[in-house]
Amino acid sequence: MRQGKYPFIVGFLAVPVILYAVFVIGPYAQAFYIAMTNWRGITANPQFIGFENFTRLFEDEVFWQAVRHHGLLLLALPILVIAIALFFSFMLNVAGGSKGGTMTGVKGSAFYKVVFFFPQLLAVALVAVLFQSIYRPDQNGVLNGFLALVGIEPVGWLTNPNLALWSIIGVMVWQAVGFYVVLFSAGMSSIPRDVYEAAALDGAGRFRLFFSITLPLLWDTLQVAWVYLGIAAFDAFAIVQVLSVDRGGPDGSTTVLPLEIWRNAFTYSKFGYASAMGVALFFLTLTFAVLTLRVTRRERIEF
Amino acid sequence: MAGIKLENVDKIYAGGTKAVNGLNLDIRDGEFMVLVGPSGCGKSTALRMIAGLEDISGGTISIGDRVVNDLPPKDRDIAMVFQNYALYPHMTVEENLAFGLKLRKMPKAEIQKRVLEAARMLGLEQYLKRKPAALSGGQRQRVAMGRAIVREPQAFLMDEPLSNLDAKLRVSMRASLNQLHERLGVTTVYVTHDQIEAMTLGDRVCVLRDGLLQQVDTPQNLFDSPVNLFVAGFMGSPAMNFANAELVRGDGGASVAFAGYKLPVPEKIFADKPGLDGYFGKPLILGVRPSDFDEASNGNGDWARMSVKAEVTEELGSEINVIFMIDSPPVEHKDTAALAQDAGEEEDVTALPLAGDKSMWTARVNARSHVRPGDSVELAVDTNNLHFFDKESGLAIGHPANR
Repeated sequence: MRQGKYPFIVGFLAVPVILYAVFVIGPYAQAFYIAMTNWRGITANPQFIGFENFTRLFEDEVFWQAVRHHGLLLLALPILVIAIALFFSFMLNVAGGSKGGTMTGVKGSAFYKVVFFFPQLLAVALVAVLFQSIYRPDQNGVLNGFLALVGIEPVGWLTNPNLALWSIIGVMVWQAVGFYVVLFSAGMSSIPRDVYEAAALDGAGRFRLFFSITLPLLWDTLQVAWVYLGIAAFDAFAIVQVLSVDRGGPDGSTTVLPLEIWRNAFTYSKFGYASAMGVALFFLTLTFAVLTLRVTRRERIEF
Repeated sequence: MAGIKLENVDKIYAGGTKAVNGLNLDIRDGEFMVLVGPSGCGKSTALRMIAGLEDISGGTISIGDRVVNDLPPKDRDIAMVFQNYALYPHMTVEENLAFGLKLRKMPKAEIQKRVLEAARMLGLEQYLKRKPAALSGGQRQRVAMGRAIVREPQAFLMDEPLSNLDAKLRVSMRASLNQLHERLGVTTVYVTHDQIEAMTLGDRVCVLRDGLLQQVDTPQNLFDSPVNLFVAGFMGSPAMNFANAELVRGDGGASVAFAGYKLPVPEKIFADKPGLDGYFGKPLILGVRPSDFDEASNGNGDWARMSVKAEVTEELGSEINVIFMIDSPPVEHKDTAALAQDAGEEEDVTALPLAGDKSMWTARVNARSHVRPGDSVELAVDTNNLHFFDKESGLAIGHPANR
């Protein structure tokens, strides 16, 4: 074994490392270089301009607007999704109490599981088109139609700059919850039934059961969910692109960094400037990931 | 503290499986009651119904004077110790012990006092700040016990609490359990499949099979006068030897004939077992405990003799189990079949077919004997302790419960 050990390991590692280097690290390195040029996608020898793109970026109001939106997404998306998904998966898995040897959910939980997971199966573009008709600003929109029934004036869900981003967050939450219900359900089913029973005998009701047993024992899964949702909050390109008025509008009130990168690169052909934005996004994501893993690190729970 | 009373308790699972069938059990205040039986006999289900973790399909369960059928577990004032300990993995030992008290809104000082007291009693003081993952199996088991003790409940329910421990630890934990019960005097219901645990721990032992109560009595009485073939075969290790036999009347009085042997049956047995004299000339099943054998040279003078050829000897240090064949096919009865099935399940072996139409018997002899496999041995049998069972029903002939 000693003899063939390194060829064996190298054999396994080579393919993924090469693929990663060519298709991930390579483009990243290139982006760092392009970010320091004024390349417009045509010349073979772009002009090197140092950090000029970055100084312009930091003075760009649209850039800061997009960053603020990411900040809001970063707070709202994980909190809403995790809270809703935790509630649902607790109801689906534990709240029905212990029956016939296993913890069960409320009545009809198998049906609800399918319902909750369903949005996850839809393509983002499809979801966006679907919600365009739900959010229509006139009385033909699903939401405004309901509001009209109770006599409320139509709301410009996507056209009101103060509301548009929240409307989009709502769609993102609606689509994401199903997946996290499944994720948390898996986490909950790995908690031994004995522990729940012991807590029930100790005098814990549903509420205590959730906060004193389920939540702490699910911490690792929650951490994973938080990182996933954080990454999703730095993306949001497709949904904003298709759903929002005027791609990131009205008046840039729903714009996000990936959308601005795309616009600068492929609409304005400012590849250098777009790359600078990409580099900024890279550092934002990295900071978030490192911070999350730092803050939430705890000793592992063994059963 | 309080007694626990089960009246005609049924448990029927969806699909119609009857796990517990008309169970009547009166557990006295302060008593240590052991429920024992092979796996799937309904003992754990019965315990979980007392705890309130399973619905009761029929009958009533009362703790003290209260019928608890519809009370949730937390209002039954009982504490339970689980087989897998079921400690809260994210809490320290101290928090584990205090959790139930905190939920009952007990003042902090009182909680502190009780936790320390229980920790001292169980030798857990230096582990109070540790998490369960950093404890050994025995320590976790003690924490689980402590969690029950601090609550000072009406009754303890224990579901095979020692079966995850290694053999040596199990013996010492058994002793501490006995001590603990002595000291606290709390009514305890203890479930196990291990008949040695049942014998050593129980004030009384309740033997269950397929959800049906077989016999409830003190360990000694279960051993000395089992009510049927099943209890006879289940209690005691090595198990009781069985053979198809016939009761015959000869010149020197009554005797029992089986496999070419003839053992005299003392008059005293007929006096103890009324109805046995009606079996003359009829087939019945004879049972002899391995411990009622000894080597003829050590045996009592008036014991009957049997000469056998030792096939296998198991030397245990303090005694030797001599395994020999008798020339009679193994007893086939639904009760013994259930026992064989249970043994097969636990040890993952079924009886080897090498016995053919012979059956294997075991005799326990003194360790000073030097029996070796292949030797011929002259065994003495204490005929005062012969057991007789009806061939059809499997019931012990002349047992008070069967009269």
